[in-house]
Amino acid sequence: MKEEALKVIESVLSQGRTAMVEYEAKQVLKAYGLPVPEERLAKTPDEALKYAEEIGYPVALKLMSPQILHKSDAKVVLLNIKGPEELKQKWEEIHENARKYRPDAEILGVLVAPMLKPGREIIIGVTEDPQFGHAIMFGLGGIFVEVLKDVTFRIIPITERDARKMVQEIKGYPILAGARGEEPADIDAIVNMLLKVSELVDDLRDYIKEMDLNPVFVYEKGKGAVIVDARIILKEPKEKP
Amino acid sequence: MAEKIVEELRPFFDPKAVAIIGATNKKGKVGNVIFENFKTNKERGIFKGNIYPVNPKHDEIEGYKVYHSVEELPDDTDLAVIAIPAPFVPDTMRQIAKKGIKAVVIITGGFGELGEEGKKLEREIYEIAKANGIRVIGPNCVGVYVPDTGVDTVFLPEEKMDRPKGGPIAFVTQSGAFAAAMLDWAAGAGIGIGKMVSYGNKIDVDDADLMDYFIHDDSINVVTLYIEGVKDGRKFMEAAKRITKVKPVIALKSGRSEYGAKAASSHTGSLAGQDVIYDAVFKQTGIIRAEDFEHMFDLAKAFASLKGKLPKGDRIGIITDGGGAGVMASDAVARFGLRMAELSEETIRFLRERFPPHAVVGNPTDVVGDTDVERYRLALEAFTKDENVDAILVIVLFQVPLLDEEKVIEVIADYQKKSDKPILAVAMGGKKTDRYARMLEERGVPVYPTPERGVRALAGLVRYAEYLKKVKGE
Repeated sequence: MKEEALKVIESVLSQGRTAMVEYEAKQVLKAYGLPVPEERLAKTPDEALKYAEEIGYPVALKLMSPQILHKSDAKVVLLNIKGPEELKQKWEEIHENARKYRPDAEILGVLVAPMLKPGREIIIGVTEDPQFGHAIMFGLGGIFVEVLKDVTFRIIPITERDARKMVQEIKGYPILAGARGEEPADIDAIVNMLLKVSELVDDLRDYIKEMDLNPVFVYEKGKGAVIVDARIILKEPKEKP
Repeated sequence: MAEKIVEELRPFFDPKAVAIIGATNKKGKVGNVIFENFKTNKERGIFKGNIYPVNPKHDEIEGYKVYHSVEELPDDTDLAVIAIPAPFVPDTMRQIAKKGIKAVVIITGGFGELGEEGKKLEREIYEIAKANGIRVIGPNCVGVYVPDTGVDTVFLPEEKMDRPKGGPIAFVTQSGAFAAAMLDWAAGAGIGIGKMVSYGNKIDVDDADLMDYFIHDDSINVVTLYIEGVKDGRKFMEAAKRITKVKPVIALKSGRSEYGAKAASSHTGSLAGQDVIYDAVFKQTGIIRAEDFEHMFDLAKAFASLKGKLPKGDRIGIITDGGGAGVMASDAVARFGLRMAELSEETIRFLRERFPPHAVVGNPTDVVGDTDVERYRLALEAFTKDENVDAILVIVLFQVPLLDEEKVIEVIADYQKKSDKPILAVAMGGKKTDRYARMLEERGVPVYPTPERGVRALAGLVRYAEYLKKVKGE
């Protein structure tokens, strides 16, 4: 797990970068068994067509560039592509939009992703505190985190007890537990994700500075969760003596 | 490894001989007040060690021989209290090292809190201490106060600051001014403090060290911390986890400011701030967070009086002689995340059979304004025997005409002794009530002036009990 993740991390660092693009972040997460969608990075339109066939339409295209971090602003996330003709057209469009937004952007490829069934949005994050080290954050997504700041923290490494308490602690917990006739969400899946992220960061504390898993879709009890978008910021590599 | 800390810190709390460096006969000066503290405690028979003032300018102060240098000190000196200006301290430390003294309290300020020059001095002192196995409390602090052994380095004279009696509460603080205010306040409130340590700039001995020490200190059953900042977070968390397994720790953390000019490159980073991080730290280590100093002492008082008796759950039974106060208490139970106990059929029947029709049987049970001691006794009898009740809040408005105050105090204290359920009391009123409240507290029942404060303290007991249960299961 650690070696696989380190390979991706070191490759990014060797390119002189500390901000991992979504695709790279997801590879690190995948190495630790975190649920990421079946996505493939296409470098050519033909690859994109091939991957889209494998994954199955409808698909989404997301352009991966270290210089374009706000993908929706740059219009480099194109959703609901229903067939190969449309895919070819959108491939062109996505590169056009990238050029318009940031002409000098380095393009690492285009992520071909399945269109995911929407679930309840949660956010999991990691940040480093100067005194206590890395801390993990959990909250409901959207306005719950943006406006209400309904989030909770723990210092890594966390125990299962910590993870369960975190979920129960947020004010919006009744929504996850199933309010107003809705099915309860897969809380075990959330707890497992929190534990795995804690393990990952505990192992790689010398490399990882910050992390945002946002959004993460959580489905009904028993149906799991999936990380829709992720960002990892690495620490500056230490100066060689 | 933990026991090492007990040996290292012992001279601070129970020295054989203390050197007061900078002792003087000039009234009011730091070196004078500290000397007077030890001298008076020796005269009272509380401080049993030797007192060695050190000052090149004196030969004798109030009958005590004054040594002109650290070098001249007798060999039994095991604690040094430094009250001389900062620039002279490093050299004094070297002499202390040569002498083999292993415990030093540096009262003087003018160190790191002032800037880079001061920080350099601190580093120098720390290096000397570390190289010679010396433990240092301070600098820039009021040091140590132990009423039972007579150690008192607090440079505020008795005329200006009352001293509390001894007790099972330890008080550890980053702020010296706060220490003084707290000691004075505790004295006034009749709360006993067994040990107080104010560590100021904490270049060496810190919260974690003290927490490890108190694990092994049987005279202390609750530790209170006033913290502004922690230097080594991991060390703090590990020590906290160790001590909360055996006794409660209450922390008051001030400085809720967000991170400074931290450019948050991630969403998460922008949401993290000092306060939420400390919340996490406390939750994970079982430290109970106090909201303000009143809360801190309300909690400390509860833990101290109950001597380790904790509620087995969160179901509260309320007995009151005032309906309104009962309602306020019930509201507080909900607000603080506790539950109102559902009394058993047996309890209800038992009380209905014995109470007059105008008394209210239920939760709260209202013995009403014409109550005598007997109704309280019956209510306590029923509530303590009811399996659905985990803890009891007894509200006594002492003003009611037919209530024999001293007898009801005895009854409540008696049930506290007999029952394994914690009993807390609320007494609302003025001077007369205060007197009775004190009497009740002396008999082992913590008393609070409002229902909210009583319930809030109860909630702290419940949270700690829950933490212990979970931690023992891991």
